[in-house]
Amino acid sequence: MSTADSSKPASVASKAELDREFEQLYRDHLRDVYSYSYYRVGNHHDAEDLTEQAFLQAYRHFERARRESDGRPMRPWLIRIAHNLASNHHRDKSRRPESNIEAVEPPAHPHTTERVVEGREELRLVMRKLDDLPEDRRDALIMRFALDMSNREIARALGRSDGATKVLIHRALKQLEEQMFSENGPGSD
Amino acid sequence: MDLEALLSDALRPIEPPESLAARVEDTLSAITEQAAAALGSWADELSDSELQSLRDPRNWVRPVAAIAVGGAAAGALALVGARRRRKPSGLRAGAERILGELSAELRR
Repeated sequence: MSTADSSKPASVASKAELDREFEQLYRDHLRDVYSYSYYRVGNHHDAEDLTEQAFLQAYRHFERARRESDGRPMRPWLIRIAHNLASNHHRDKSRRPESNIEAVEPPAHPHTTERVVEGREELRLVMRKLDDLPEDRRDALIMRFALDMSNREIARALGRSDGATKVLIHRALKQLEEQMFSENGPGSD
Repeated sequence: MDLEALLSDALRPIEPPESLAARVEDTLSAITEQAAAALGSWADELSDSELQSLRDPRNWVRPVAAIAVGGAAAGALALVGARRRRKPSGLRAGAERILGELSAELRR
């Protein structure tokens, strides 16, 4: 993955350089912001709105964020903006955010028909169980598995320490596994 | 059951629709153009006394801030690329709010 980060101090970066960097950031991470938004709100329409708002906010604050990033990747900052916007979106609509991800249709897979049926049922189940997790655990798993973010990136996006994030993800996986097991029963593998 | 593999399968990255990129670029373009226009209007509306006061360096903070915003507006036009021919989408509500804030900043 390419990044728009530069080791050049922000104080000496020209406006043209900043704009070029922002454009690169936008191109590199449009899919990340969109994917995250989609899994948070569960539909393309709202995901598009959130993605657009996230980049508008990012553009407005890019210079300062770049300066304060001290050369670190900017993706966690972008995802944090999307995260906050998604939380606001759910609060504004006064509904549980967990009610949306369940509606996400699992992607199609190139397997045999039988495998597709089994696989999609399993995918639906995991999405439903993901939906039951506390918001911070679910968000961390979305960042990990949909965006392939490292623990450190997730920590920055969620405003937590690296250690706390590692524990958060571990607990999220454990809880999800238990919920999947209870759904499938002890006889399932 | 390999839970992590299942999650990777379930939470695949979603490709944004092509129209979204154009939409974001259109909105950024609208903001930058209107910010630049607001800067021009602000300068046109200065009275003689205000222009006189600008000769005093103690009054330079706001104009410098305004010029910075205007510069940002002009520079960001690089983002729009060849997508600006599209008709603006219905997502202007957020952009309008930001434009209002930018204009207010410029006029302060």
